[in-house]
Amino acid sequence: MKRFLLYLTVAIITFTIGYNINLIYFSDRAPEQPINFSHKVHAADNSIPCLYCHIYADKSTISGVPSVQKCMGCHKIIKTDSPEIQKVVSYWEKKEPIPWIKVYNLPDYVYFSHKRHVKASVPCQRCHGDVAKMDRITRQTVIFGVPFLRVSPLKMGWCLDCHKNGAKEFIGGPVRNGTDCWTCHK
Amino acid sequence: MAGFLDRLLERFKIYREPGYYKRYDYWWAMVVDLDRCTGCGACVTACQAENNTPVVGEEESGKGRVLNWMRIERYVEGEYPDVKVKFIPVFCAHCDKAPCEVACPVYATYHNQDGLNVQVYNRCVGTFTCATYCPYDVRRFNWFTYKDKGSFESPLDEQLNPDVTVRTMGVMEKCTFCIQRIVAAKDRAKDENRKVRDGEVIPACVQSCPSKALTFGDLNDPNSQVSKLAGLPAEPYYLRESGSKLAKISKNPRAYRLLEDLNAAPTIIYLKRVMKGSSTIGHE
Repeated sequence: MKRFLLYLTVAIITFTIGYNINLIYFSDRAPEQPINFSHKVHAADNSIPCLYCHIYADKSTISGVPSVQKCMGCHKIIKTDSPEIQKVVSYWEKKEPIPWIKVYNLPDYVYFSHKRHVKASVPCQRCHGDVAKMDRITRQTVIFGVPFLRVSPLKMGWCLDCHKNGAKEFIGGPVRNGTDCWTCHK
Repeated sequence: MAGFLDRLLERFKIYREPGYYKRYDYWWAMVVDLDRCTGCGACVTACQAENNTPVVGEEESGKGRVLNWMRIERYVEGEYPDVKVKFIPVFCAHCDKAPCEVACPVYATYHNQDGLNVQVYNRCVGTFTCATYCPYDVRRFNWFTYKDKGSFESPLDEQLNPDVTVRTMGVMEKCTFCIQRIVAAKDRAKDENRKVRDGEVIPACVQSCPSKALTFGDLNDPNSQVSKLAGLPAEPYYLRESGSKLAKISKNPRAYRLLEDLNAAPTIIYLKRVMKGSSTIGHE
């Protein structure tokens, strides 16, 4: 019996560790990007506003990934000898876009407009978490080294929570027609 | 337990009653001028292209599994030397008292605040009840995932509309009045803090009609093109009452609605075709 319990504990511990390693490093919540881009360096240390790079966030349904030109605008001068910047330069010289991997992916049947939310002054951090503290963009919150919950579940109930009640702090009441199916579905 | 059930029933009763919106924000409606319709079928093609409707093929069509949201019905009258061919485009009438809404067991079809009878694909379980209840036979059922069957093989997938879901097997679908364009127009209007202007929303069928037989607009607005063509007063909510006849309030003698006797209160208004030398005008 004692031996069985020992095996069980070891199994549970191994499973938890393995599961979390998988979740943090190998799952789609924090995929490895082609370039080791750090939001922390850009958004926190150098305090570049989100909309400087994600230029369409207040104009369109999508926020937009910056073009390589935008990267090169600064990195022609700044930190040109870093190996990661060399990768950007190589993409620039090949005239190819950087194949970033999308982290916040919504299903095909969801209509989500960044514009509407940014114009209602919902901060980016409300859904994307504190990106300025992330080296690699992740959907996983980590508390004391233990993965806890997702930054945002991106589930319908989570959306409706804000559309019904939480929106008060931004527009002073529930979203108009916010619970109609075809407001968010397409 | 019984109390809880009663409360639940009470809560959903309002959704079962046709016309639970006392007043719509917009009341989207269409006017079809049959005098202008030439039966070219451009609307059908445009609808198919806009709404990611798959081409099902000859064999499937023979089994009655066509997925076109619109169809043009042909009526041929008379013997050979003087034959009269009449066309009538039929698509979802977005009935105010839609029989399909009453039928759905999972509330996948309901009326929204814009006076649209909308279909929620994610809720639909494919009981087919709405299609059997529909008097206009405009609801279409996805018997297969046509995407997997090769309807959108490369390079055809490049022409898919990103604003419309590609439906999968077991889902009922129908005309949405190109709701993605309505949403886009409302989005623009909200930016400028105004209501959607008349003629700002143009569904694909209206856009493609070469003879401008179709007109789309807001019935709440007495100055809209639709209200003027149909000769309706401001806010013609009389049309939603049972036993209402369009002829009673319309100034246009040609205006009628399809199968008005069924009391489904459709929002598509047809204008009769006036034919030379015939005592009866158009067809009903």
